[in-house]
Amino acid sequence: MSVVKVQPTRMELIKLRRRIKMAKRGHSLLKMKRDGLIMEFRELLEEAKKVIGGMAEKYEKAMQKLALAMAVDGVVAVKSIAMARQCEPKFVMHKKNIMGVVVPVIKREEKIVRCVVEREYGVLGTTARIDEAVEAFEQLVDAILEVAEIETTIRRLIEEIEKTKRRVNALEYRVIPSMEEACKFIAFKLEEMDRENIIRLKKLKSKKAKQEA
Amino acid sequence: MKKVAVIGDPDFTIGFRLVGIRDVYDVTNDEELVNAVRDVLSRDDIGIVVIRYDDLKKLPVMLRREIDERVEPTFVAVGGMGSVEELREKIRKAIGVDLWK
Repeated sequence: MSVVKVQPTRMELIKLRRRIKMAKRGHSLLKMKRDGLIMEFRELLEEAKKVIGGMAEKYEKAMQKLALAMAVDGVVAVKSIAMARQCEPKFVMHKKNIMGVVVPVIKREEKIVRCVVEREYGVLGTTARIDEAVEAFEQLVDAILEVAEIETTIRRLIEEIEKTKRRVNALEYRVIPSMEEACKFIAFKLEEMDRENIIRLKKLKSKKAKQEA
Repeated sequence: MKKVAVIGDPDFTIGFRLVGIRDVYDVTNDEELVNAVRDVLSRDDIGIVVIRYDDLKKLPVMLRREIDERVEPTFVAVGGMGSVEELREKIRKAIGVDLWK
């Protein structure tokens, strides 16, 4: 599989040997990176499953409760409650670096799920259905904040793992073998030239000896 | 301090209005949807964008790639098991085994 066309010179051989050494070092480093990423990923996976599943469940529940509230109390009532709500869910976002992968870290400033009396609208003016819908959505947003962090992290890690894996394999099965092949080719060619030289010298020597005799 | 934004049809967004989220984009057609997403991407006070998975699918490929690459804002797709399936497929492709479940 000698794809690399090389000049059989000693300089080229030295250069190639250096490149092989470097490629091998890069390969082992990338391999370690891949293993490290997979380890990170495995740790997160269990949690991600739980959190994402939980969010899907909460979404279904919240939508059901909202539909019920809208059907029984009317759209206008629900909208007026929506107008009354003041406090937006706020959070602080940081960036974290896991082996070159930038992932978000979300910190909640205040709790999103509130007690009924803490909400801005009057409890007496609304029905229990609306209260329940609001609570369900508060829980949903709470879950969404969690999911946002963990899902993005997982996604990024996966992409990075795939990239690193591809690089490791390319080095292992393509780049390093072809360079080694070229290296062998040069070494053989040089030896061959050496032998040719020796024979030539011997021939010359015997010719000279004949002439002198 | 970052905020949450919601993009979707009015039926979808009303629930999030109940929590007090003010950055709500009501969209009724695909064009508005794309404009809303562009607007959200250009703002720097939004940390998380909640969007329906079906709506996310409708976006042009270039925009989706940009969404994937950005850390801020982070897009969260809700509704259906579509996003889970997508993630699962990605894991299967990258690791070689289906680790999900």
